[in-house]
Amino acid sequence: MGMLDQLLHGFSIALTPQNLLFVLIGVLAGTVIGILPGLGPMSAIALMIPIAYGMEPTSAIIMLAGVYYGAIFGGSTSSILLNAPGVAGTVATSFDGYPMALRGRAGKALAIAAISSFVGGTIGVVGLMAIAPGLASFAVSFGPTEYFALMVLGLTAVVSLGGNNLVKGLISAVVGVMTALVGIDSQTAIVRYTFDLPELYEGVEFLIVALGVFALAEVLVMLNRRGQGGARKGVTSLRLSGRELGRIAPPTLRSSVLGFFTGVLPGAGATVASFLSYSMEKKIARDGDTFGQGNPKGVAAPEAANNAAAVGSFVPLMTLGVPGSGTTAILLGALLVLGVTPGPTMLADNPDMFWGVVASMYVGSVVLLVLNLPLIPVFAKVLNTPRAVLVPLVVVFCVVGVYGLSFSVFDLGLLAAFGAVGFLMRRNGFPAAPLILGLILGGLMETNMRRALQISGGDWGVFASEPISAGLLAVALLSLLPALVRAVRGLRRGRVGPSSPEAATDAGAVPDGGSEDQAPTPRG
Amino acid sequence: MLRMTKTHVSPGTPGSGPARRTPGFRAAAVGAALPLVLAACGSGSGTAEDGTWAPTEAIEITAPAATGGGWDTLARTGARLLEEEGLVDQSVQVVNKPGAGGAIGWAYVAGHGGDPHKLFVTSPPVLLVPMAGNSDHDHEDFTPIARLATDYMVYLVPADSDVETFDELAAQAESGEFSVGGGSGPGSMDHVALAGALTAAGTDPASANYIPFDGGGEAMTSLLGGHVDAAVVGTGEALGMLESGDMRAVGISSPERVEAVSDVPTLVEQDVDFTFDIWRGVMAPGDLDGAQVAYYEELFAELMDTEAWQEESARLGWTDAYQDSEEFGAFLDDTRDEYAEILTEVGLQ
Repeated sequence: MGMLDQLLHGFSIALTPQNLLFVLIGVLAGTVIGILPGLGPMSAIALMIPIAYGMEPTSAIIMLAGVYYGAIFGGSTSSILLNAPGVAGTVATSFDGYPMALRGRAGKALAIAAISSFVGGTIGVVGLMAIAPGLASFAVSFGPTEYFALMVLGLTAVVSLGGNNLVKGLISAVVGVMTALVGIDSQTAIVRYTFDLPELYEGVEFLIVALGVFALAEVLVMLNRRGQGGARKGVTSLRLSGRELGRIAPPTLRSSVLGFFTGVLPGAGATVASFLSYSMEKKIARDGDTFGQGNPKGVAAPEAANNAAAVGSFVPLMTLGVPGSGTTAILLGALLVLGVTPGPTMLADNPDMFWGVVASMYVGSVVLLVLNLPLIPVFAKVLNTPRAVLVPLVVVFCVVGVYGLSFSVFDLGLLAAFGAVGFLMRRNGFPAAPLILGLILGGLMETNMRRALQISGGDWGVFASEPISAGLLAVALLSLLPALVRAVRGLRRGRVGPSSPEAATDAGAVPDGGSEDQAPTPRG
Repeated sequence: MLRMTKTHVSPGTPGSGPARRTPGFRAAAVGAALPLVLAACGSGSGTAEDGTWAPTEAIEITAPAATGGGWDTLARTGARLLEEEGLVDQSVQVVNKPGAGGAIGWAYVAGHGGDPHKLFVTSPPVLLVPMAGNSDHDHEDFTPIARLATDYMVYLVPADSDVETFDELAAQAESGEFSVGGGSGPGSMDHVALAGALTAAGTDPASANYIPFDGGGEAMTSLLGGHVDAAVVGTGEALGMLESGDMRAVGISSPERVEAVSDVPTLVEQDVDFTFDIWRGVMAPGDLDGAQVAYYEELFAELMDTEAWQEESARLGWTDAYQDSEEFGAFLDDTRDEYAEILTEVGLQ
């Protein structure tokens, strides 16, 4: 009852005309910036910080929070329509969203993204409200050892994301991990793979790689296919049948919960959450083989997860004063300047702000849904744009997005280089998804592994003796088992009778027998 | 147009490195408005007949980091107050030049040698990053303007820890079984603050198990979760945790007790002869003339006298620590020698 009172009090703060206006401005600005490829929530919040200076602190954080989840909401649009992720957290959305769009189901994909985002966001807010104080202890229970195990679990998805060629998938993932290692090593301060270029000291920005290997590579493929029919079907209705909604409901709910808890962990965040839920659903789903070819569940899962995680990341921020991601780190900086010190005492010292923000998130979620559903047909018209217009536009957006991150011409060169790499990978059947996964999770895995070992004095036993870590690693091993068994069986058969044609085809079909080569734009 | 120089940089000395206080991904810098400032008109313009100087165009303050960090906070707070308090006739713009722990921003400012309208905000990394070999420019390439404020380090343990004093922490740390988290890489600010204090307490800093995290926040979460045994972070970052009673500070690196955390004893009180300042100041490109330096010294002294500045710095947990150009320059030279000594003790130089 007490909580309900406080929530109602929160609504009385969130629903004042002034704060309602700031929620609107926030989510609107966030959505628009999120839709533009390359401009994510970090850029969006950074853009809004100068405006927020001098505002009343509660209104300011309501607006900035709106910008954050608005950007993640909007980011899916460009992932689905252009294969150009607007936000790191929506990279996984493009795996199935873009194939759906190519098959003329862009409307449905956008609607699924909007609905599952809404559900994810709402479940996240309920979680934030109901259990935030208790979650602080969950958030701190994850130390370096546990994060390492979590990242290992996430990386096992490479096996299933790799498509029909495990070796190419693994090569791609290793390149991703190597890219993550570029820069000054945070554990020893030694510079690695920087070729003496100061621009590389802080590593390679994730979005540059994502835009390069997805959006620019896609553009190059389009150019290369010139003359051959564009075969882009028009946009069909965005109506989802009851059956379709029924199909995506379980993955959406599961991913919302998984996403929220992943978001709560200060070392994970929305991007990790979207990948974890995507690979989880791919393993759970009976039609997991069709993930990557335009399976609606593959859109619903990461979208529900990234929105729930965005809300979840407010738990460590508001209860511990610790930013859980790059975006919340910027948000924390903005809060400090506004004179608010988020931390363990915030709920007691500043209940108005906490409950005002929570209530504003309910309002914001509804606003986003109402705002986005009618706009879907408008957005989807992008697909009817003639290629001669679309190609330069995508390139311009990528360039503006990347330049806006750092004002660095060097980064534009990197973007072009990763575009070329992505194109060559596509031509030679290397899947891009494992590269992205390796880049996001590999760096975190490496840092946390070394931290854990440094704390334990070099004893590898900690990974097995810490219960959470042991549990996660066991799940990782279990999830690899089917693929391993198949691979070993294939090898053994290969050894017994190398000339047997049956063995050869069997080995080739590892790991999941998926037939991704039949997808309209092969990723694998 | 002057261009930013991108020349060869030697790789870092093994085992040493810059402070990386921005956690996670490189943050965006879109918030920075690039002012349309043309190249400086030379040092002669703006000088009045009586030899005093005043800016003739917009003043640009560079934060060599992304929006939202400590440098950005200082640059934006300073710029806003200079304008609001009517201390300048020209507008004051903040520009973010993130990258390479500050080196990208320093290279940008260094490329504007002699331009009196290009200031930048600074703190210990301007000494530590070049010492690690990760910057083309060090503090001697710039004109010190003024030191403004300072913050201190606190040495934290969990509320239920057995460790009561810094000496006990030092003794534990020497055993090697005890891990101390910090918010920045080896050889950078947090590590230097720990190693210097350990040396002063009579223990060997090289035997301490320092665990670098991405930011003080991450180090404190790991401390709360019991993954490390102690942590060294900035006072401002730790205020919330200290207030809630989740953590205890066994020492603070200030010369005297700090009001915001008045129950935390200084190291000096505990007969550990060590202080560490997270000082913050303003610098300008090299080759500024005396009149220009005098103008800015006066300007920032006036700024610090305003009530608005006092309010802001109290809120951000800063202590006033004004030094004029000459004092600040000497302070920087001394401090660099002190850091070098500490890094040699830990075997990082």
